Amino acid sequence: MSGFTFSEKQEEEIAGILSKYPFKKSAMLPLLTLVQRAERVISPEAMVAIGQKLDCSPAYVQSVLSFYTMYHTEKVGKYMILFCINISCQLNGCDKLLEYAADKLDIKVGETTPDEKFTLHREECLADCTNAPMMRVNDTFYGNLTEQRIDQILDSLD
Amino acid sequence: MSDNEITLTIDGKSVTVPKGTKVVDAAKQVNVDIPVFCYHEKIGPLGCCRMCLVEVEKMPKLMTACTMDVMPDMVVKTTTEKVEKAQKGVLEFTLLNHPLDCPVCDKGGECPLQDNTFKYGPPETRMEFHRHNNAKATPLSPVITIDRERCIACQRCTAYSERIEQGQELVMLNRGFHNEVGTFNNEPYDTRFSGNVIDICPVGALTNTEFRFKARTWDLSNAETLCANCGCNCNITMGTRLNELMRVEARPNDAVDDGWICDKGRWGHSFLHSKNKILTARENSVGSGKPTSFPTFPHNCTIQEAAVKVAEAFKKIAEEHGPESVGFIGSPYGTNEENYLYQKMFRQGLGSNNIDHKSYRDTPGLPIDHYGVEQIETSNVVLLIASDPTEELPILDLRIKKAVTGGTTRLVSLNDQKTALHRYSSQSVQYKVGSESLAIDALANGLARELGEPVPSQDASLEKTGISEEDMKALVETVRSSMKICVVYNPSALSGDAVMRVKRLLNLISKVPTMECGAIPAAPMTNAVGAMDMGLVPDFYPGGVALTDQEEIKKLWGENAPIVNGLSALEMIARAESGELKALLVHRSNLVVDFPGGSRVGDALRKLDLLVVHDMLETETTELAHLVLPSNGPGYDEGTTTNIGGRVQARKSGLDAEHAPDWKIISLMLNALGDETNYQKSLDVTDEIAIKVPGYQGISRKSMGKSGCNRESIASAAETIAEQPTGSGEDGSLRLRVATFLFAHDKILDASSKLAHHFLPFTAHLNEEDAKKLAIKEGDTVLLTAEDVTLEATASVNGRCQPGGVVVPRVSDWQGVNGLVGVDGGPAWVGVRKV
Amino acid sequence: MTQILFKNKDMKDLHTIKVYEEQGGYQSLKKAFDQEPDEIVAAVKASGLRGRGGAGFPTGLKWSFLAKDVFPRYLCCNADESEPGTCKDRELLLKNPHLLLEGMIVCSYACRIETGYIYMRGEFHDLSFIMDKAIEEAHAKGYLGKNIMGTGFNLEIYTHLGAGAYICGEESALLNSLEGGRGEPRMKPPFPAVEGLYAKPTVINNVETLCVVPYIVNEGAEKYAALGTEKSKGTKLVSVSGHVKKPGNYEVVMGTSTREIIYDLAGGIRDDNELKAFIPGGSSVPMLPADQVDVGYDYESLAAAGTMLGSGALIVIDNKANIVETTLRLISFYMHESCGKCTPCREGTRWLHQIVERILQHKGQLEYINKIEDICGNMAFKTFCPLADACVAPVMSSIKHFRSEYEEYFKNTPVGSV
Ligand SMILES: Cc1cc2nc3c(=O)[nH]c(=O)nc-3n(C[C@H](O)[C@H](O)[C@H](O)COP(=O)(O)O)c2cc1C
Ligand code: SF4
Ligand code: FES
Repeated sequence: MSGFTFSEKQEEEIAGILSKYPFKKSAMLPLLTLVQRAERVISPEAMVAIGQKLDCSPAYVQSVLSFYTMYHTEKVGKYMILFCINISCQLNGCDKLLEYAADKLDIKVGETTPDEKFTLHREECLADCTNAPMMRVNDTFYGNLTEQRIDQILDSLD
Repeated sequence: MSDNEITLTIDGKSVTVPKGTKVVDAAKQVNVDIPVFCYHEKIGPLGCCRMCLVEVEKMPKLMTACTMDVMPDMVVKTTTEKVEKAQKGVLEFTLLNHPLDCPVCDKGGECPLQDNTFKYGPPETRMEFHRHNNAKATPLSPVITIDRERCIACQRCTAYSERIEQGQELVMLNRGFHNEVGTFNNEPYDTRFSGNVIDICPVGALTNTEFRFKARTWDLSNAETLCANCGCNCNITMGTRLNELMRVEARPNDAVDDGWICDKGRWGHSFLHSKNKILTARENSVGSGKPTSFPTFPHNCTIQEAAVKVAEAFKKIAEEHGPESVGFIGSPYGTNEENYLYQKMFRQGLGSNNIDHKSYRDTPGLPIDHYGVEQIETSNVVLLIASDPTEELPILDLRIKKAVTGGTTRLVSLNDQKTALHRYSSQSVQYKVGSESLAIDALANGLARELGEPVPSQDASLEKTGISEEDMKALVETVRSSMKICVVYNPSALSGDAVMRVKRLLNLISKVPTMECGAIPAAPMTNAVGAMDMGLVPDFYPGGVALTDQEEIKKLWGENAPIVNGLSALEMIARAESGELKALLVHRSNLVVDFPGGSRVGDALRKLDLLVVHDMLETETTELAHLVLPSNGPGYDEGTTTNIGGRVQARKSGLDAEHAPDWKIISLMLNALGDETNYQKSLDVTDEIAIKVPGYQGISRKSMGKSGCNRESIASAAETIAEQPTGSGEDGSLRLRVATFLFAHDKILDASSKLAHHFLPFTAHLNEEDAKKLAIKEGDTVLLTAEDVTLEATASVNGRCQPGGVVVPRVSDWQGVNGLVGVDGGPAWVGVRKV
Repeated sequence: MTQILFKNKDMKDLHTIKVYEEQGGYQSLKKAFDQEPDEIVAAVKASGLRGRGGAGFPTGLKWSFLAKDVFPRYLCCNADESEPGTCKDRELLLKNPHLLLEGMIVCSYACRIETGYIYMRGEFHDLSFIMDKAIEEAHAKGYLGKNIMGTGFNLEIYTHLGAGAYICGEESALLNSLEGGRGEPRMKPPFPAVEGLYAKPTVINNVETLCVVPYIVNEGAEKYAALGTEKSKGTKLVSVSGHVKKPGNYEVVMGTSTREIIYDLAGGIRDDNELKAFIPGGSSVPMLPADQVDVGYDYESLAAAGTMLGSGALIVIDNKANIVETTLRLISFYMHESCGKCTPCREGTRWLHQIVERILQHKGQLEYINKIEDICGNMAFKTFCPLADACVAPVMSSIKHFRSEYEEYFKNTPVGSV
């Protein structure tokens, strides 16, 4: 398996990442994140490539990435919508809003729209409880959600 | 009580154990049984299963006995109400989603989960939901089945892969309840040591595919015996039923295997019931060789009759042509008893020292201590010379990795090829293929200078070795300054007289003041050490008694014992070719394939008046024999072997053979030659060895017990070292190094073997520099030419060897790689070109 | 009220070094460097500062446990902030990144550390840029790097992002994660102060804890210790969420009554409903019923009330809420976040989930309550790390205080259903 190569720019970034740590394995999460953000998925080929970079078995790479929820082995949409369903958001009615969002996107929670634009996931507490109910779309936090606000936010994304 | 010992109380019983002992192990000393699932002494604590909770005075919470070090005056209680409640609770959780399919589970009867539940468990489950359904039996590899449904996620197996194998091929995937044991991308888990996970899985999640549904564990007969695949001599249990092998398991012996066996030991046994097994004495329809001058053997003769005939025939030839016209090539795979009897037969019965078992130079004994393998862990430097444990002696590889990663041991290597242990070495010095004599001398001379010892006049120059002055200097310094050094060298991978130079080096090392030192002669073959000890060499009697030591020889072997130097195996083959050798007896050795020379060996053997081959499987050599005698071989035979660490252990039979054992056949021959000893069993021979072989005094069934005992170190005779044979190949040719590969496709691992997935393609490893010159790229098909032989291989371009060499792993019997080497075993150069 | 951490929090551009310094930022460095490292450790001890990450361990004491004479040592700032209900660290990182850096520099000087990592949960990707920028600015000013302010003291600080795992907030799991592994907790002993990151002595502190340090150096331990109660010194950030009118992060002096926080600071219960229960310290601590709302917000008062201050997340639940549903949600969280390493946690959280879910489907039976309590008993204090205890806390407290709400469900259980 050799189907994955890092771009030149990524190689540069990787060099920067590696320089932060005395042991290369520490760069595991940063490299996985790099790939996940670039590809929206982490393929077996990428796992091999990361393993080679960090001098560990691809099985180890897979073992690590499968522990964390932010890595995906199936491609996710351009916009990853993480809907917090934990206690503060629940107390503030997130369940209905999540249903609303799913209906609006016409997918089930956990799925990706056929055009690969949106993926909708339940998420545990995202540390924005004072703005509950909230969701995170890619890197942006949106709090105090209402149906209208969800409409607004999702409609504004292209 | 020393500073390093701690006394504590467990269930009212006082116990003193070394510092660092876990409570769970301390409890065992006073027969307190603390139940465990995830803890395994050799893997170390994990703390996953929580089965081992105990109460410790002054601690508010229950503690896991497997993770807790003993502390002075600690008071541990393992049977309080609180503990019992916790144990029930943990077992309830453990069983919550575990299928209750014990009646059809292969672990049944030897399952820690069953046993712990029986002893400590709740009487019934309160789980009223559907058990979680997970995958039932699926293949984890061609030989291991995984039942994820039964897995209790104890992580023993994955920790084994990480900590013991140091490979991290078997890992925990996912998180939480979805945790599962798996591999990268569902690829097979097929390392060399994969089978050990079957032994350590505390439930029926990892099972031996071959054994599944074959037999209930309690119906097996279990023979506690030894693996016979390599010089490690790991301890195994053969589980048989109705005289058929059902499975092999590890039988932990810290002094030998540390509890692990490799997959060849576990699954490399298809030969036991192979159709190529030789079951009777057989005369070959003449035509495959020169018609024997000896009157033909009666058809359908019994083995006993055949043995007597063979003895008489050899006697007759020896009388007609002189004792130098007969010879014996024995086997580093034979037992000590077989080897001992054969040398006795040839020396005493036929008056010949034409006795050998190998194609390389070596002599018995060491000028320093012969270390057992466990000494590796306590050495602070392990020096590997020309040795590749990973491919040659897998369990030694594990031991070295354990020492290097777990303690203060440093690994340094002096080798012509870069091996898998390279990444564990703090220093690797690589010499050019064929320059080992120079490299070893350079190290020895460097040391001699430091010690003010005489340095031979022809001082080794480093130039031809490709080693830099600094590297050699650093190596000398490492060796000199080590507090305890263990030198591990592979005599069979050394050319010319290099092994004698190693011994000179060892001698010098022993002179370094205040240093503890020892060596392990790590030839890959099962009983290479034993074969040397038993005198299967032309110039030494058993126990390393040199021919020059005539007094000793007369004392042990009588006035008529031959003291004329015999022929080495290679010389015997050469004399067969020239017609001077008339009769040859070969025991468990496939000369045509395993000896240098290829088809020329066969041609030489065809010229013999009498070739008798005593072997367990049909080979290219039995094909040429006038008479074939059946050998039991491992699994069927009994006897002792001596491992690389000098440990003598008893091999027991697990299966009943159809014919007389080897020792019996040989003793019949001996008797026919006038010897009056009447051996009744293999152990009678062992007893004689204990009397006649220096170093083996005191070896007996009792002293060996279940786990063997070390024989005394055998001193090596002072040696003269021959000049390094020089020469060079044709322009552009490369010096050949044939590398040993235990998992090769040979007679033991035949095509029907469960381990066929380990067979490698025929590869030639070239240095980048040479590859560039020859315009060869990775993956190219290349032709290797030497001695009128041309072989096809796939090129691999890497730093495995220095420029000027080519490393060819011997991956199969059919590859014919020994044909590239001259029949004299001398240095071989091969032409390499791209197709 | 005294504001230490939130003093200028809403000031424009406080996250820039310029504004931060204008407000007196980084002044503690010089004061710190004028002292011996051990003096600072002693001052932090004297201040009575306790860790704000959840366990409340005395910070100065923790620093003094570092294995003697073993170097290098590491500092890990725990910015994983994943305890449900907690979002105070995020506000600090977002608005006042230099305060954290200042705290980390002083801590590193005091503990002779030359490398620090800020382990931020993966979802804080954006915040990591703010932090990286702040690090860059501090570097440019010579507060980080080699020979800081001519003292010969060197320090590099790096951000490191997690990737979605609550357990990585647990300090030893954090270390595994930072080393590039699965976020499974480690065996203790050895404790991080002896063998932490890369098996070297390591200090792990929460963001808020480290942010307090500059104040202690600037104003003196006594001044800090003068705030708060007997055993709880200084101020505490409280994330108030749930059914309140003005949810938000508030800085209160330790010992302030919870009523004051809920009703005065957070504006009281929303929609004119009534308070039913509150969880004072994040989802991992036992909940209390409304009648205990006067409890002092400090370690010892909350402990006396049978709960804990935890991470300082006050989750307010009104009388319209369904306690059983809320409990199930929390169990579901712990089930999802259990690393799965140890049996009672992995199996127990899931079993509890199955049972409570069944209750909510009106299929439970009265004896379920005993069973839940027994299962909780088999989990509590028997697992590898405290995550299972954290799951048990809300479950047991909800039964203790709101048993009748569970019992409601059994009334309608159809006969014969299991
Ligand atoms: C399951 C679990 C999750 C935790 N999560 C966090 C967290 O998100 N942030 C944090 O600072 N501490 C968390 N902690 C506490 C840390 O283990 C550790 O005690 C803390 O970082 C120490 O810092 P402090 O002394 O400054 O509080 C958690 C502990 C546990 C058991
Ligand atoms: S497969 Fe066996 S050894 Fe491995 S985790 Fe499961 S129960 Fe433990
Ligand atoms: S044996 Fe101790 S936790 Fe598993």
